[in-house]
Amino acid sequence: MTTENPVLEQAAAPRPPRPRKKGRSTPYLLIVPACGILILALGYPLVWQFITSMQKFGLSQQFGQPPEFVWFANYVTLFTDPYMWTVVARSLAFCLVTAAVTMAIGTLLALLMNAVHAGVRITLQISLLLAWAMPVVAAMTVWNWLIDWRRGVLNTVLTGMGLDFQNHNWLANPLSFFFIAMVIVVWMSVPFVAFSIYAGLTQVSTEVLEAAQLDGAGLSQRLRFIIVPIIRPVLAIILLLQVIWDLRVFTQIRLLQDAGSIASETNLLGTYIYQLGVGSSDFAMASAVSIFVLVLTVALSWFYVRSMLKEDDS
Amino acid sequence: MKRKLVSLAALATASALVLAGCSSDADGGSDDTASNSGKTITLWLAGGDTPDALRDYLKTEFAEQTGATLNIQQQDWGDLVTKLTTSLPDANNTPDVTELGNTQSSTFSNVGAFLDISDMYDDLGGDKLLQSFVDAGKVGDKNYALPYYFGSRAVFTRADVWAAAGVEVPTTLDEFNAGVAAINAANPLNIPDFSGFYLGGQDWRNGISWIFANDGELATVKDGTWTSTLASENTLTGLAQLQELYKSASNAPNDAKDSNQYIYLNDSDEIKDAEGAVTASTSLSAATIMAPTWAHGSIGTLGTDADGKATRTWDDSKNALFALPGNDGKPAPVFAGGSNIGISAKSKNPELAKSLLEIIFSEDYQTMLGQSGLGPANSDYVDSLGDDQFAAALIESASNSKLTPAAPGWATVEGSMVMEEFFSKIEGASDLKALAEEYDKKLTPMLNGE
Repeated sequence: MTTENPVLEQAAAPRPPRPRKKGRSTPYLLIVPACGILILALGYPLVWQFITSMQKFGLSQQFGQPPEFVWFANYVTLFTDPYMWTVVARSLAFCLVTAAVTMAIGTLLALLMNAVHAGVRITLQISLLLAWAMPVVAAMTVWNWLIDWRRGVLNTVLTGMGLDFQNHNWLANPLSFFFIAMVIVVWMSVPFVAFSIYAGLTQVSTEVLEAAQLDGAGLSQRLRFIIVPIIRPVLAIILLLQVIWDLRVFTQIRLLQDAGSIASETNLLGTYIYQLGVGSSDFAMASAVSIFVLVLTVALSWFYVRSMLKEDDS
Repeated sequence: MKRKLVSLAALATASALVLAGCSSDADGGSDDTASNSGKTITLWLAGGDTPDALRDYLKTEFAEQTGATLNIQQQDWGDLVTKLTTSLPDANNTPDVTELGNTQSSTFSNVGAFLDISDMYDDLGGDKLLQSFVDAGKVGDKNYALPYYFGSRAVFTRADVWAAAGVEVPTTLDEFNAGVAAINAANPLNIPDFSGFYLGGQDWRNGISWIFANDGELATVKDGTWTSTLASENTLTGLAQLQELYKSASNAPNDAKDSNQYIYLNDSDEIKDAEGAVTASTSLSAATIMAPTWAHGSIGTLGTDADGKATRTWDDSKNALFALPGNDGKPAPVFAGGSNIGISAKSKNPELAKSLLEIIFSEDYQTMLGQSGLGPANSDYVDSLGDDQFAAALIESASNSKLTPAAPGWATVEGSMVMEEFFSKIEGASDLKALAEEYDKKLTPMLNGE
């Protein structure tokens, strides 16, 4: 099936070493401004947060009082605070469950898009794009109306179907709150996952699938043994991104908290940092939590980054 | 040669831009209108409470009196604390004068965000200014922020539902408590999830009226140290009354906060049966609510104005309002809403800012505030509010109103929603004293800014 490709053969042959040119430092000099700006823009806030997390920094420091260095006292307070661990546990649980559900639904939608007629596919893709492009705050406003306890469409529809959801408050119970939050975050994230995996599916050659089908492989076997291994890199990177984004989720939780629920029972890491920093003006603690979230994110993604690098080398 | 010319021109342009940015205004006297003509000061107003007519008046009056320009910027209430936190310490970005909530005023005054204006205090109205608001902006005996306008809260009712349940307008707090419980039990219109008195579980701004009415306090100060007093005897009496109200008069959700209560008082959606008779109203679900007096603009019959926007017109046959009565013949002390105003400590034009304050506290502007339904800071001009039932309720309920503790950490308490959380636990608490003591322990360090 494979034919000799003369272009590939030529490229495979070793090339003669290029003579060293004068002014070899030019490429590096050209990169320096771009790197400099990146380091300044990304590094400065990071360094400031790191330093502030080791100080006592409140509203009076913002207005001119010199901050005092307390080194790791903030971190000690943080790690001995049981509420902090509750928030971390909640955030991890939420992010893992949401990312898993998003990946599952996104993959299924991508497979669907691959299998249907072009017209249906276009309609599906347009709907997904509209959902993804809708600004978060506008979407949250509509979602809040949908789940409103007295006049929401959700309650009306469920009551109409015979279940008693009259005046049911979806946000009062934390578990129910997180269920709604999960539905909303999944709704907003699935389009990106579906499109990315759909793009990855184009790499799966139909000949291999046909051959497997002829050999008697069922649908799920083809999925498990052919499709998934081929699109593994795409799945890995999308899963990693989803986990990171769902760990840091803020807007959706915050806007739902404004509509209802007891704030302290439904805080995740994003809203907790906001409450500490902007709400209580305790910038030092907020910085400490932020650094902790950074470490957590790196820890979660380290495994994937390493396996990706290993794959690259192999 | 051409390259050299181009790079020289670029260098010259860049230097010109940089050096222009380095220049700064010198602070001049405010009396010399000619020398002020190039200057601009910024006033931050919170939300849309101050009407456009008043803003225009300030701009024209300021230009006439000082020759400088006044730039008014409106900030959202939700973002205000964040913006003040980041802008006030920065001399290049600070507003010269800013409005802020009275509950936020003590926090910012205590950290030195504002200029000391004790020398102007008597000229601007002195002891005729609303004293509880003056205290919110006072540190020690220096004034940093002064009252801008006050609002107050009153009880709004569905007079037809009260009449159908056979309950009279109460004259004491005890009568009110009993009355709303009776209406809740009677539910004359058979509405599902009906509340005799719709009080949200997290709505502490209305709920603290019961604490204040029983002579209770949220916190007390001694020698500059604040202590939370939720577990004090009088406060506990108020909390017990609240618990009774939550159990027997209100079916509001446990997590409902102080917002949009008036929608439960309106009947815009009516369910009619085959003969056209109204069988239920899906909007009306409360006989009584408590809200700031300006909410009357959102209560009544639905209609549309000339621009096609929805309006509500007060209907005296269905709607009524009164000041929450206390048990001692005076109106119950309700939570005083309103704003304070102050000059930023880092303002580059303090003299011009002081001129603006003089205009704001002048008789003309105070009267204009009153005519717009905003209670003027100077009690001399309170009758400019008018004499309709809304003004009467505002003046009556404001006469005995109270503020939250003027503690340095009060903005933190509000920001972390601790009061909301405490109130949400009142209904289900089997031991109110233990719950109050638990929250006292949380609140005391927060109040002192630790």
